[in-house]
Amino acid sequence: MTQPVPASPMFWRFNTEVHRLVGIKCQDCGHISYPRTKICHECGSQNLKEYKLPHKGTIHTFCVNWAPPPQFEPPILPVIVDLEGGGRYGGIMTECGSPDEIKIGIKVEMVFRRMLTDRGLNVYGYKFRLAEEG
Amino acid sequence: MAGIIGYGVYIPKFRIEQKDVAIPWGSWSPGEKSVCGADEDVVTMAAEAASNAMRHAAIDPEQIGAIYFGTASSPYIEQYVSPIIGEILGVRPETTRIDYLGSLNSLGNAVLGCLDAIAAKRIKYGLVLGGEDRATAPGTEGDANFGAGAVAMVIGTTGTIADIDGMDTYATLFMDRWRSTKDSWVSNQADYRFDREYGYQTHVAGACKGLLEKLGKKAQDYTYAVFAQPDERIPSLPAKELGIQKGQLAPGLASVVGDLGSCSAFISLANILDKAKPDETILFASYGSGASNAMSLTVRSQIERKRKNLTPLEKYINRKQNITYISYLRLKEHLKRGPY
Amino acid sequence: MKGKVAVIGVGMIKFGELFDKSLENMIQEAYLNCLKNVQKGIDPKEIKAAWFGQWSGGFIGQGAQGGQSLASMIGNLDLSCSRIENACPTGGDTFRNACLGVASGVFDVVLALGAEKMRDKPSAESLGGAGGGGGAETGNHPSWMMGQGGPAIQAMHATRQMHQLGYTMEDFARVAVKNHHNGSLCPYAHYQFDITVERVLNSPVICWPLHLFDCCPQTDGAAAAIVCRADLAKKYTDKPVYVWGSHTGLDHNQLWDRSSFVSQPSVVRAAKGAFEMAGIKPQDVDFAELHDCFTNTELMDIEDVGFARSGEAAKKLKDGEYDMHGKLPINPSGGLKAHGHPIAATGLGQIFEVVTQLREEADKRQVKLKNGIGLQQNVGGPAFGAAVVNILSRSR
Repeated sequence: MTQPVPASPMFWRFNTEVHRLVGIKCQDCGHISYPRTKICHECGSQNLKEYKLPHKGTIHTFCVNWAPPPQFEPPILPVIVDLEGGGRYGGIMTECGSPDEIKIGIKVEMVFRRMLTDRGLNVYGYKFRLAEEG
Repeated sequence: MAGIIGYGVYIPKFRIEQKDVAIPWGSWSPGEKSVCGADEDVVTMAAEAASNAMRHAAIDPEQIGAIYFGTASSPYIEQYVSPIIGEILGVRPETTRIDYLGSLNSLGNAVLGCLDAIAAKRIKYGLVLGGEDRATAPGTEGDANFGAGAVAMVIGTTGTIADIDGMDTYATLFMDRWRSTKDSWVSNQADYRFDREYGYQTHVAGACKGLLEKLGKKAQDYTYAVFAQPDERIPSLPAKELGIQKGQLAPGLASVVGDLGSCSAFISLANILDKAKPDETILFASYGSGASNAMSLTVRSQIERKRKNLTPLEKYINRKQNITYISYLRLKEHLKRGPY
Repeated sequence: MKGKVAVIGVGMIKFGELFDKSLENMIQEAYLNCLKNVQKGIDPKEIKAAWFGQWSGGFIGQGAQGGQSLASMIGNLDLSCSRIENACPTGGDTFRNACLGVASGVFDVVLALGAEKMRDKPSAESLGGAGGGGGAETGNHPSWMMGQGGPAIQAMHATRQMHQLGYTMEDFARVAVKNHHNGSLCPYAHYQFDITVERVLNSPVICWPLHLFDCCPQTDGAAAAIVCRADLAKKYTDKPVYVWGSHTGLDHNQLWDRSSFVSQPSVVRAAKGAFEMAGIKPQDVDFAELHDCFTNTELMDIEDVGFARSGEAAKKLKDGEYDMHGKLPINPSGGLKAHGHPIAATGLGQIFEVVTQLREEADKRQVKLKNGIGLQQNVGGPAFGAAVVNILSRSR
């Protein structure tokens, strides 16, 4: 008998980070680390403030993964996004009709989606979709 | 007086023509309906509706006293989903989280619960929300009709865009839709005429009549009549009984986004509120499983001031991508890849 | 480090899909080949300590093998041993730790051995295990790992190299062509056949912009090196190879903490540290074994180690500078692309190649030596935040 991972202490610990995208912004070097942490990843400072990742941004880089792990249906579009106002986040696109829709520099926004299901328990998180005009 | 302070909706991007689902099985159904993407469910849809509602209402998550989630298609039989919404918004632990499940009147009951809590002064603001993405069996009428969507409303007493002047319910024991723990799909209607007259019509008209009598009003006096829409023609039945004119009835949505279950009356309400003017009035009724909750609403002037922060239903309806029946079969998991 | 450590023996088995060899057998074969390789012979009991590199325990089904495994497998129960793991640099870092063991003065003769059994699972599964998204076994939330993994992460670098540096898919393909040609001359390589740019570009797209032939294979293999005090080396061989510099460089663990996607700061740091230790500059190096887990990675490695400025490597490759008989041969063994990438064995396989080249025993793939200095480099990790560079020389 094994514990479905979503019921684990690790998942519970990450509740705030995963649902509200809380990271930190270093008050010394300005680096934004996500998820929350106690030492700045870039410079080692402890002078940190909580920082909620913005939900909108532009694509910094991407690829088209036609060989994802067995539980995923290809293609998957992993992206690294420069967030509006500071910070970066990585994830995958959703609602993309075709990989041709993705280019460096286009606007995207985060949406809350189901990532996977482990023994009946859903795991949710944020993916990106193309931002609408206006 | 309590009322709606802000609201939001969500409809998935994917659409299919209802006939493409019906014709392979020797049947037919008009219009289109929305289909959840592979990574969507009632929780993810409601999350976006809630985000829209909070922006429209312009209140902080810490102000929410309770979250009421109403759906007939929760992913869980045991385990609430309202806490997930609570975690996304960042509400306080003191905020009650309650799921109303198992009925197409679930969201109607969620509103009732919220209004009771506000009247009892237990809370000041409540978030009432719900989504629907009901499981269907291939080749059945539900498979062709049922759509997917979500709606969220912030309810309170300050800054309302529409006041709820009154609410009444009407319920009896009536079996029209069910799903037992043995079934992986919602039942289909065996006797449509019986269900629509003795189920839908009786209870919707009954709830409205009770409400109108309590308030001393007449149905014809309302600007709009918004009823649950399992299909586009059925609202005309109680309308006729109540003396409501065709022009008062809310526009058809069931052939655009499908039958949205317990969300349907509220999505229709949002559609009206998207364009409603101050002082207009709305007679509203939800329906499900032999119960109807009727409400009387009066639109306030705040509605125009807040409209700039609104994401209207139309935006979601126009954002669409049609899919083939094969894609539909895979998304609904009627067709699965062999495991090995 | 410089002047303190010498390599007196190297050994490996042919890398490939070795379905009929178990992890233990591969380790034993590589170890025995290494002992035989010590020119004047060595009593195995002289090896008092070992560092054992293995990247993965459970992920790819080879079973978790701790540091203790080696002693029993090679029949040397008096061995003092630790297991080293540092993602794809495991092999090179295992070598580094062995060198530190000798440089510290605590041990005279030590063994570094790396082995990986990747093909007891289908390629797609071990590829997924190598960091693929969804697996909360890594202690990360799935939403931070969706659809990632080696190919996806390097593909995201490749997209950026194309956008920022003007590199093309043909540029990447040329790396595979060069390395396959070199591999065709190397008896230990996984793949020993030539390919063309067309073949690369016509192969299935794995992770756009990378094709199947831009990706190194899933390989089984083992490799080892015996390292001793520099002043004792001549007792064992007339051709010792000395370690001049050895450094592990690190960077962030999360992709979105990274500062650039056309450069790998971990490699920059590893190279800087190793060059400083060795007291030399990149232009002093005769040839290098670099980490081309993907073709575009080799171009970044060349730039990050300091052999070319950012954006220059592709042209120099096209001009033939990095060919086996060019100005600066890169990956005469065939690289990870043709030679294979049994993760923990890779770095030690590269050490094998560097040592063999410096001893001028590389037969058909011998490169020209000027200063007698070779360089080995690996990079890897969840955000390619780990790298190792070892600099070897035939002079002390």
